[in-house]
Amino acid sequence: MKRYEVLNCLLCNSPLDEGVTWKTLLSNRFPRTICLHCEEKFEPCETESRESLISLYKYNDDMKGYLHRYKFMHDVLLAKVFRHQIQQQLSKKKEIIVPIPMHHAKLKERTFAHIDELLNEANIPYVHYLKKITTETQAGKTREERLNAPQIFALKENQDPGNKEFILVDDIYTTGTTINQAKRILLDAGAKSVKAFTLIRG
Amino acid sequence: MILKLSKGNKPLSYKGIIIEPQIRDFFAGRIWTHNNTPFPQSKINYYTLRNYFTKKPGISILTKNHIFYRQHLICNRCQNENQQEFIIYNCAKCEKECVYCRHCINMGRVTSCTELITWNGPQPHMHKKHVLDWNGTFTNAQNEAAKQLTNSIKHRRNHLVHAVCGAGKTEILFPAVLYALNRELRVCIATPRTDVVLELFPRFQKVFPNTNLHALYGNSPQQTGFPQLVLSTTHQLFRFEDAFDVVIVDEADAFPYTFDQALEKAVYKVKKDGAPIALVTATPSPQILARMKKESWGYSFIPKRYHGHPLPVPRYQALWSYDKTIQKGRIPRKLLKWTITKLSNKEPFLIFFPTIQLMQLAIPLFQQLNANIVSVHAEDADRKEKVMKLRNEQIPGLLTTTILERGITIKNVQVAVVGAESKIFTSSALIQISGRVGRNVALPKGDIVFFHHGITAEMDEACNEILRLNKEGFGKNETL
Repeated sequence: MKRYEVLNCLLCNSPLDEGVTWKTLLSNRFPRTICLHCEEKFEPCETESRESLISLYKYNDDMKGYLHRYKFMHDVLLAKVFRHQIQQQLSKKKEIIVPIPMHHAKLKERTFAHIDELLNEANIPYVHYLKKITTETQAGKTREERLNAPQIFALKENQDPGNKEFILVDDIYTTGTTINQAKRILLDAGAKSVKAFTLIRG
Repeated sequence: MILKLSKGNKPLSYKGIIIEPQIRDFFAGRIWTHNNTPFPQSKINYYTLRNYFTKKPGISILTKNHIFYRQHLICNRCQNENQQEFIIYNCAKCEKECVYCRHCINMGRVTSCTELITWNGPQPHMHKKHVLDWNGTFTNAQNEAAKQLTNSIKHRRNHLVHAVCGAGKTEILFPAVLYALNRELRVCIATPRTDVVLELFPRFQKVFPNTNLHALYGNSPQQTGFPQLVLSTTHQLFRFEDAFDVVIVDEADAFPYTFDQALEKAVYKVKKDGAPIALVTATPSPQILARMKKESWGYSFIPKRYHGHPLPVPRYQALWSYDKTIQKGRIPRKLLKWTITKLSNKEPFLIFFPTIQLMQLAIPLFQQLNANIVSVHAEDADRKEKVMKLRNEQIPGLLTTTILERGITIKNVQVAVVGAESKIFTSSALIQISGRVGRNVALPKGDIVFFHHGITAEMDEACNEILRLNKEGFGKNETL
């Protein structure tokens, strides 16, 4: 990977002049992609001792803007922004990383799988155990509708989650419907434990 | 023999459907992504099938005959050629590697697999009965410039209007625009700043009551009909192609127009072949002047303000280590004195700061003097309201960054520039800032102070230019 592939902040386009130090040369840290000023605007989410869900950031206006640009304006490059943080959280885990899947029709429309791209950029290996069976999205639904929604995932053929440990990865956790439904599928199929990791806590 | 149905030279081509005027009016001159129009997709497909649209790929590869051949991409919407801004990604739709342009991504992404469409059907009808409802009077210099500009447009020649701040540049455009409209020409007035579009729009609406006029800026509301006159930010020009017979660029030296090459290319893209461009500015860059001379453009120069008083000349005031004083929580003594004087005289004032951070530090200190003083910067959503408040004398003064350097007119405003030696205050920025002062006939004088931590060449250049303009306009004796 090229060290200086990103010259300007991906969010505000101001030049990033990151000097070369021994630390940047010797450590394996990803080079910066956004400026300090933009980075400060994201509020880290204090993870509770409850281990089953880890989230990195709160859903503030800047995060909303980021997610909009990434997911809906389709700026694929923005997958790089949080790669360091994602790598730090997930690279040492022994569980199998399972991204929340997209419906294939939706994937054609968006042209990229946003969760997979986040993991690709952070060099995290993952396996798809699930597939999505509806094209419905959680956005635009009330809390009640979300909580009573029918199952939206199914287990992929020729994948056996029996006696394995998993971490589900999604972009945002709001009411938890998506994560809980995916969790139920895996647990019902005999998974040993299922944890979750999301970038944002809504 | 071909039966002629229309008045023109082309026989009327009947393709089996009657075109909806909304679609024709909207797409005439525009370039749009195929899958993201304000109309239902079925309708677009219907017209595409009948060849009313020309298609082209979103991003083309320019082949260059060169031994060190490298792929060179160009975005067909924004004309961006900066290779850094093209991102290769794995496209799930095409199941191969596609490229997208990050330069114009805010208008909806354009990829190599997106299709752009341009209208090739019949053109909308332009009418000739435009009237100019304006009963102001021109000064001699304005009159001369207006005539020269109209003349240049008549001869399809580029033109540069160089007029000092407050010379009445907008009014000079009126006769030229009227001339063009009544010759069935489509006119575009583009400017780099949204604020300027917002200020020009009501004025043009008022003086051209018979003209369908659209204002285009980021998130502007959808407007109906065919606009023969378009007021637009230079960014919105990306969405047009071969559309206009006359393009006027107002404030042609403002950021980001001079900074972003794609914007200049956009101006050339939206004009039809051989259509003239007119640049209007108070501070033409040496590049523009050189080009004007080389390509023998028309040139009008107005060194005098419309009210016939000289430009206020800035004075220097040393304000050593102002940033440290502000960081310590005090307003520097001379600045404090200046502000208090303006407050007690009840004169509205603007104080320009070089950075948002410094302004943020200073604003609580100023609010101790008067709680109504507020600050504005580029990301401020209430920018318009705050300027309106200052104009209506609801607030005594405003702290600002360079965002308000041009396009605003406030009666009897007094201006201070803190840290005039900073890099951001270039000579043209300083001239524009000085140009805010004394724009009213009744109050043609005003105070403009550069508070500095050391005088820079840019400051001197600005000052000398203002003195030179006064000299040109009034002769030697009256300048000082």
